[in-house]
Amino acid sequence: MSFELFSNLVGAFFTLCIFSFLYKDNPFYQMSEQLLVGISLGYSLVLTYERVFIPYFYQPIFLKHEWILIIPSIIGLFYLFRFSSKLSWLSRYPIAFSMMSVGASVALAMHTSILVQMRQAMVPIENINLALIFIGTITVLLYFFFSKAHTGVYGQFVNIGKWFMMVGFGASFGLTVMARISLLIGRIQFLVNDVFLALKQAFFG
Amino acid sequence: MAEKKSFFVWMQSLDRRWIYLVVALAIIIPLLIPYNSDNVTTPPTENVYQMVDSFAGREDRAVLLSFYHDASVMPELYPMQIAIIRHCFERNIKVFFLSFLPTGAPIIDMAINTVKEEYPNIKSGVDYCNFGYIPAALIVPTVIGMGDNIATAVPTDAEGRKTENLPIMKGITNYNEMNLVIEFSGSTAGAYWLIYARPKFGTNIAVGVTAVMAADEYPYLQTGQYIGLLCGLKGAAEYEKLVDVFAAYRTPGEPLQPYIDENGNKIVPGRAFSKDILKQPEIKDLIKITTQTEAKFTPEEFELFLKSCPEKDQPLLQLAKQTVEGNIIIDVSKLDQDQLSPITWDTLNRLTRNTQYKFKVARVGMNAQSVAHIIMIIFIILGNIGYFLQKAQTTKK
Repeated sequence: MSFELFSNLVGAFFTLCIFSFLYKDNPFYQMSEQLLVGISLGYSLVLTYERVFIPYFYQPIFLKHEWILIIPSIIGLFYLFRFSSKLSWLSRYPIAFSMMSVGASVALAMHTSILVQMRQAMVPIENINLALIFIGTITVLLYFFFSKAHTGVYGQFVNIGKWFMMVGFGASFGLTVMARISLLIGRIQFLVNDVFLALKQAFFG
Repeated sequence: MAEKKSFFVWMQSLDRRWIYLVVALAIIIPLLIPYNSDNVTTPPTENVYQMVDSFAGREDRAVLLSFYHDASVMPELYPMQIAIIRHCFERNIKVFFLSFLPTGAPIIDMAINTVKEEYPNIKSGVDYCNFGYIPAALIVPTVIGMGDNIATAVPTDAEGRKTENLPIMKGITNYNEMNLVIEFSGSTAGAYWLIYARPKFGTNIAVGVTAVMAADEYPYLQTGQYIGLLCGLKGAAEYEKLVDVFAAYRTPGEPLQPYIDENGNKIVPGRAFSKDILKQPEIKDLIKITTQTEAKFTPEEFELFLKSCPEKDQPLLQLAKQTVEGNIIIDVSKLDQDQLSPITWDTLNRLTRNTQYKFKVARVGMNAQSVAHIIMIIFIILGNIGYFLQKAQTTKK
């Protein structure tokens, strides 16, 4: 038996363990779930050590003697004080530094998510699609304007926004079903081709 | 009427495990018995394909693929990655890879190796470059830094080689050359590229997302901030089809690999995207997902093909040919691979249009997807009828 087939059999065993939850909760499912968490964490830890700690901490400080990097390293270590009740305030400093990137992204995110989107919503209404987008945008925005009661003609108008959202939710639901079925297809393709047919090939030629 | 009612009421109380079983069978059966179904391509996928294809054979253009996901969403994203990498290798397009997630790095290796098996001439550092895992804390400096100089922002590749010394970097400095970023993700696809790279450097962004996330990404596509979008398994199946119809297409006699013609021009085999070609009835022969073993030629094409083969193979091919309805057909399953030279064998197999399983995974999956969707729709309709009948019955009581 080749190593590839053996590893596929291990994968198939854990796939079936996870699927067994569909019948009911059981120890095989729980074991697989906990193994997944443990292996992912262990893998990330080793990779982070190799790709972050060594090139960005050990090599610059201990091999290249870039001593200035000790300061951000110490600030980074302050994260660990989260676990101390007396010194947990120190962990706010690295958090404050990391928040800088959030600040830096505000202006650009406004451009991407608001200004460009708004500009594209203000194009001349030349076809039925653009008309629908125009009506949808206005009515949905008004639906979330709560300073005026949704009654009378105004209420009926903003109700159109609710219908637009319903269509949106329906599309999202359809796509979600598609996504979940795709994941199942992926697993079954693995079981059928990489395990069942490979076993058949290995033992019966 | 009473009988029908009781059926729907029975449906309402049906144990959900029976439904799981029916859905599982609806998926397993089409996978075990594949059939040839068409897959209509949509503009968001075609736009990504055309943009990637516009870089074919160019020294001064490259694509960056960002794997921002782990194994949990691989069934949807992996086939599209394989299809895009295959497109790049077929059409001699420089391609870079990176992942901001530790668990994304091995998926890059797996994807490259899966496609590379069929392209022995493709070399790391020359035709592609894998930057590997870049810590998430460095996303912003990396995305912005690459706008200035890629080799400075990512000094080494995943194998520890200096980026600036790699042959692939010849003609590539920043986003002016690496002008297309495609991010694959099951969550916030393209967000960093859209915020930091596009407004500042004008980088073209495309995304490959799970179907769940597609609804969130469409507004950015509609406003032109994304040049294209691949939506789940369907997007992957569309891209696979486009690669088979255009990038991997070879006419008899055409070399399989890129070559330099007598005038010194680099010629990249395959053909450019065209809507008209997609409408041709012959396309059905190029996109079959069932196993194909027959290479079909017109007499003129066969002559051209023979001329391109080594002399020692020509008598064997003459013996193996069959004439059916004025066309010449060679069945590769009746030939001995060891008797033919590798180039003839590869070309002949290419001309059978028999796509390898790994390059049609999404299309095979879409067969099962179609059946499963029909079953789901039936369940939803039956469930709703049952619900309203039960409601009416309760009101009556």
